[in-house]
Amino acid sequence: MKYISFFSILILTCALGVLVSLPFGQIPPLAPLLDPNHGFWQNSFSEDQLAEESLDLENLNAAVEVVYDEQLIPHIYAENELDLYRAQGYITAKHRLWQMEFQTRAAAGRLSEIVGPMALELDRMTRRKGLAYGAEKGISYLTENDPATLALVEAYSDGVNQYIAQLSDARLPVEYKLLNYRPEAWSAYKSLLLLKYMSDMLVGDRDLEYSNLKKILGKVNLDRLYPDFPTENDPVIEKERVWDFTSSAPVKPDSLNYPEETLQLEPLVQPTEGTGSNNWAVSGKKTKNGNPILANDPHLSLNLPSLWYSMQLSTPTHTVKGATLPGALGIISGFNENIAWGVTNATKDTRDWYKITFQDASRKAYKYGQEWKPTEFRVEEILVKGQDVFLDTVVYTHYGPVVYDQSFKADRQDVNFALRWIVHQGTSNEQKTFIQLNKATNHDQYTEALKDYAAPAQNFVFASKTGDIAMRIQGKFPLKWEEQGKFFMDGADPRMEWQGFIPFEHNANTLNPERGFVSSANQHPVDSTYPYYVFDNSYEHYRNRRLNRELAAMDQITVEDMKGLQFDSYNLQAEESLPVMLNLLATYGSSSKEAQKYLTDLKAWDFFADPAKKGQTLYSIWFAETAESVWRELMEQGAPVVRPNNFQTIALMRDTPEDAIFDVHMAEGVQTAQYHVRVGFDSLLVAMKKWESKEGDYGWADYKKTTIQHLVPTFKAFSVPDVYTGGGAGILNATGPRHGASWRMVVELGSTIQAFGIYPGGQSGNPGSRFYDNFIPIWAKGDYVDFGLKKKGDQKGILFKTILN
Amino acid sequence: MKFLLFTLLSALVVVFLNIVAPYWVVMIAVTALAALIRPTVWGGFLGGGLGMGLVWLGQTLYISAVTSSTLPDKMGALMGLGSGLSLMLLTAVLGFILGGCSGLLGVMFRNLIQKKPTDVYLG
Repeated sequence: MKYISFFSILILTCALGVLVSLPFGQIPPLAPLLDPNHGFWQNSFSEDQLAEESLDLENLNAAVEVVYDEQLIPHIYAENELDLYRAQGYITAKHRLWQMEFQTRAAAGRLSEIVGPMALELDRMTRRKGLAYGAEKGISYLTENDPATLALVEAYSDGVNQYIAQLSDARLPVEYKLLNYRPEAWSAYKSLLLLKYMSDMLVGDRDLEYSNLKKILGKVNLDRLYPDFPTENDPVIEKERVWDFTSSAPVKPDSLNYPEETLQLEPLVQPTEGTGSNNWAVSGKKTKNGNPILANDPHLSLNLPSLWYSMQLSTPTHTVKGATLPGALGIISGFNENIAWGVTNATKDTRDWYKITFQDASRKAYKYGQEWKPTEFRVEEILVKGQDVFLDTVVYTHYGPVVYDQSFKADRQDVNFALRWIVHQGTSNEQKTFIQLNKATNHDQYTEALKDYAAPAQNFVFASKTGDIAMRIQGKFPLKWEEQGKFFMDGADPRMEWQGFIPFEHNANTLNPERGFVSSANQHPVDSTYPYYVFDNSYEHYRNRRLNRELAAMDQITVEDMKGLQFDSYNLQAEESLPVMLNLLATYGSSSKEAQKYLTDLKAWDFFADPAKKGQTLYSIWFAETAESVWRELMEQGAPVVRPNNFQTIALMRDTPEDAIFDVHMAEGVQTAQYHVRVGFDSLLVAMKKWESKEGDYGWADYKKTTIQHLVPTFKAFSVPDVYTGGGAGILNATGPRHGASWRMVVELGSTIQAFGIYPGGQSGNPGSRFYDNFIPIWAKGDYVDFGLKKKGDQKGILFKTILN
Repeated sequence: MKFLLFTLLSALVVVFLNIVAPYWVVMIAVTALAALIRPTVWGGFLGGGLGMGLVWLGQTLYISAVTSSTLPDKMGALMGLGSGLSLMLLTAVLGFILGGCSGLLGVMFRNLIQKKPTDVYLG
């Protein structure tokens, strides 16, 4: 009896102990999660409650001091660069480890390891685009050509790894506890991969859609509806700029044949609309204090933990502060004691597709001119949680990887296209650019630093204490003949090859232009006099014009003015289109009481997309529905296409409302723009009826519902929903439902640097910390926190201090 | 008396050992303690359970009080349990069950190797 009861209790207890250590489906192991000493409870502590006076960091040449200000922004004081970046890696990991690991796993196509088969398709896609392939080449390039930079990247990596090695269960970020895995070692490769991942986020192409459009619309209509330059072009580099060099642009070969199949492929995932940015610098002659002022606000997905992490990095020879990307070295957008710089995405079609003609089913060779070129096979080994390893064979041509083939999305069609993309080239060194920029003291050094930068192409704004302002559109841009790469190309025809790259000196740039400011907002980089072919589908047409108008009109500018401009919510598109729409609507529907209410709101609206404005809500729905109606037949052709942009749509409605493009073939009679405006209005009434009965108030912020979402979307409780803030797409404050100003910075370069910054998140990556989302309310109001440089020993406003040795 | 002593010592073991060791090491320690002190069968179960459960409850209360973190509520929402309070109770219950079983096991083990029958105490 004793034995029976003992053994039954023994088995019961052991089973229980084991059971609570096992995950059940999506439920993580219960005991390690709930144990108050090691589980999630421990993540309730904020960083200042866990402050340590000193920490062990090996391989340092001298002790490093880390001073946190009241916003938990670390100020790292090191004696040399190697120590500095080792400490940057360590401190970044301390506050953002889970995020940096998660992002690089996503970039490497390794999410299936954590979340199982549901991520397999995504992982295959990521790998087939060749991001990891590019990062591998990047590492070998650094090994052979730039061991100095590699040493710094490795020091950073060592810092991260030393943090991981001493990480206790209690301090393990809560996401690991919930998803039940542990961090793995960091590496220099991962830092490079992160920068490739940025390219993936920011670069798109519309070759497929344009190939389809050419077929559907014909070349004449395509050029009319999708012009390379808009009528009112207000480019990044001022129009007055004279291009004083001889172009090396190639001439378009005669009688080219484009692949002409009916293309019904699914396009590659594109950067989300609303991804864009503003930056500008005004010269001292336009400012109140006579100092240049620089501003930058990159717009990206609004996520938690935030993409950005602020830091000050100091050695005895330089001090730099601003926003870092956890996982990459140095400051990405920021300022030092002498200069400030910022970035916006410089879209330009740098991704092209080539149709590959394989010799036979073995795919060992493909046609190129008169010969057969051999392919290479790269086998991607994808580990899948709870399943066997998945092996994916990807064919590489000299153009790049064949993304879709018989084994991946083969149901689409029996076609093979190779992706040519600058990220596959190993000859770039973006990390070096940022390390050099961090130390640059003047315009020459800024230009020199940008020489190594290839992708993703950015508009680098610049201002210096000595009074210079500048803008340079930097990236490695392929030399293309007119319209090369706008459509799918034939990989068998060597004349379709990229013809080299635009020389660095010919990349569009400007220094101290007459107008007294430089600016960029993702619009066309140049006007049509620039002697190289420029094309992209996604150029901005509104933010840029609003920005340049305001900057041109302003004088005696202060830092406060620039903050105001970053938060400016004026909807230029509405100003230009609402009167046209109201005019076309005429008296339609005015007998209904509801319609009258909305029309009164619309007519009283001042075009500012402030949080309480009802006009902005009504306009946004009405315009979207109208444009939807105008292009419905084009979009329903059965092949993926892109719509003409809003600027073109509005121009057509205003200038040629009777254009044949407005006619709906399915409907009787002849339709004009008026028809679509009225259809749009009817849809608005339907949408509003539904909204008002369900949600009530339709003020813009209540309608827009800006959400800062945790990187794991199902972790809803870690997201911050319904942030009360204005702005929207095409508006300087570009904050939409899920995208917007991911970082705002304004710097005045006087004798003492004045700097302010904010981002929608917090310095801590821990959802339990009071520093996780404490910046959000400040950001939502358009306020900032002080980002001034801190001298070593400065005792003001210190949260706590840690010595690394 | 043994019951009180055992409960108190279990609680102390949880307080000090759990800082450095995971829950299963604590379970083994509570088992050993029960075997050493040898409370009654019920005493073993209740003592171990209360020792671990109450300490875990106290620790969650303490952490919530000193941090005023929103994390327990967020975790409660995430796990579909509503609030942080239910997670606190869940933690306490889990501690109670783990500690209770460990205590019981310890007593059973001692009874197994002990010659003298222990049933008399149960009366």
